[in-house]
Amino acid sequence: MKKAWQLTCLAFVALAVYTLVLSFEYPYMDRLGPGPGFFPFWLSLITGTLSLALFLQTTLAKRAAHGSATLLPDRLGALRIMIILVGLVGGLAIFETLGFRITLLLFLFFLPLALGVRNWWFILIFALAGSFGVFHVFYYWLKLPLPMGHFGI
Amino acid sequence: MEAFQYWVQGFSVATLPTNLMFAFIGCVLGTLIGVLPGLGPAAGTAILIPITFNLDPIGAIIMLSAIYYGAMYGGTITSVLVNVPGEAASVITCLDGFQMAKQGRAGPALGISAIGSFIGGTFATFALMVVSLPLATFALRFGPPEVFALLVVGLSLVTGLSGRSLLAALIMTFFGIMLAMIGMDPVRGAPRFTFGITPLYDGVGFVPVVMGLFGVGEILISMEKPVLEIIKTKLKDLLPKREEWKVSAGAIGRGTILGFFLGLIPGIGAIIPTFVAYVVEKKVSKHPEKFGTGVIEGVASPETANNSYANGALVPLLTLGIPGSPTLAVLMGAFIIHGLTPGPFLFKERPDVVWGLIASLYLGNIMLLVLNLPLVGFWAKLLEIRYQYLYPGILLFCILGAYSLNQSVFDVGVMVAFGVLGYIFRKLDWPLAPTVLALILGPMMERALRTSLEISGGDMSIFITRPISAVLLILAAIVLISPAVRGVAKRAGKD
Repeated sequence: MKKAWQLTCLAFVALAVYTLVLSFEYPYMDRLGPGPGFFPFWLSLITGTLSLALFLQTTLAKRAAHGSATLLPDRLGALRIMIILVGLVGGLAIFETLGFRITLLLFLFFLPLALGVRNWWFILIFALAGSFGVFHVFYYWLKLPLPMGHFGI
Repeated sequence: MEAFQYWVQGFSVATLPTNLMFAFIGCVLGTLIGVLPGLGPAAGTAILIPITFNLDPIGAIIMLSAIYYGAMYGGTITSVLVNVPGEAASVITCLDGFQMAKQGRAGPALGISAIGSFIGGTFATFALMVVSLPLATFALRFGPPEVFALLVVGLSLVTGLSGRSLLAALIMTFFGIMLAMIGMDPVRGAPRFTFGITPLYDGVGFVPVVMGLFGVGEILISMEKPVLEIIKTKLKDLLPKREEWKVSAGAIGRGTILGFFLGLIPGIGAIIPTFVAYVVEKKVSKHPEKFGTGVIEGVASPETANNSYANGALVPLLTLGIPGSPTLAVLMGAFIIHGLTPGPFLFKERPDVVWGLIASLYLGNIMLLVLNLPLVGFWAKLLEIRYQYLYPGILLFCILGAYSLNQSVFDVGVMVAFGVLGYIFRKLDWPLAPTVLALILGPMMERALRTSLEISGGDMSIFITRPISAVLLILAAIVLISPAVRGVAKRAGKD
């Protein structure tokens, strides 16, 4: 866990340096007072300093706050997490092209399947209710605009 | 007299059939959100914001608030029957609640929770009615320096009280403020950190961020060990026995008072009042050694404090416009989406909304008592839903909620990205609440700071020459410095 804390601190240092550099693109002061660059400048500086301080504290301390638990899940847990993430990213990629109904139909069909359910009929009913059923309720009844996709489904 | 007129107005609004219906729907959804692991009240409320778009603002706020305090009731069921808190504030209930369930006493544990929650919630609502008007009137004296100082106090509290590393909590707070910088500059209206990406001109939406951090992130964590072991018990005899009543009465009273007063402190969060209530109960108990083995006071006190806190925490939100927890930050966002700004002016401009909401809390608490006592078996059944259906189902509503806010796939992407970040930060044990609160309070903070400096001509002493802001900033400094001082003293003591 120590390494994970150190890496996270360094990521925040990098982010702070990046925003600090970007903050120079905006005026620090203008004729009315502090400009759009004022807040980002100080914020980046403080975030960078804090992140560096935590990095040093984690590195130097014998018993720091980071604890001893491991960051990585076991193999099966990691697999399930990957399935969810692949489902989400995949869904995101096709969401506007295929529309809400088809995307969610695929999402809700393949996710339980990939997570080990083999009751095909039940999965199909679940996916249809979650995609076409939910679309009907939210689009027609609650008047929420949802994407129809290129096929208009 | 003026206050009494407002109360009457509030009840006339809250008892309209449509508003009663919205309160009921909110209570049902809130209980559901509380019961289901993997969906906390913050994400749950955020998901449901879009369905309120076409509703009247009062009905929408009544419903979303009912979800917030309804989740506090529902979270207990999961804590008692599964030993997994349905929402964070029910963590401490697991200790004695689960032990009671193992001994076949799940019924009284759930019964006393519902009754204690009802008493705590009702008392806190009454106290909210009494204190909110004078406090809102006082808050009208606040200028930009006082607002800035107050926001600093709120963020300091949420930072100082969360997580095991103060530095990590501070970084998370500043991360939230950095996210808030993206979009239009709140004072001059110039775009900042938008990288030419059109959706970023509106800033990073707090709803997708909350759904990601608290919804998707929680699901990813749950996927590591998704199978819940539910205690199989018959949920009979929900009403506690006479001797259980005797020991619970004091616990409920103490939990009520503690919960409400801790709720008044902006930024304290929902977990601390329950822990404080538990510790106090253990201290005053004649048999403290039995705590953790299934004593009913160990359930009654934190559960009462939990609901009393939930209503008490509405005081800083409604009177000062400062949310004390991520869920309240979402609720504040819902107010803004519906064109209402929580704070002292809301009491003057829209008394119907404020007092209608407050009155609806009474009615909501009654509805929740009815929903939770006779229907507890039904809610417990929901825990048997297989995770392979439950989590994809929750994700479906996360996608729906994130998209429909701005009809933007970009927001869904933001939600997924913050889901991954939420997972990582949970694993690291870095607190998420400061980020969400800072994200919503960041623009207000920047506006208050810069306007103050414009007033003073760039002189920072404006914050210490005005008494209210000076006191508030000293308070914030104490909150932030005290953990460090305690740490040094502890180490010195060891040496």
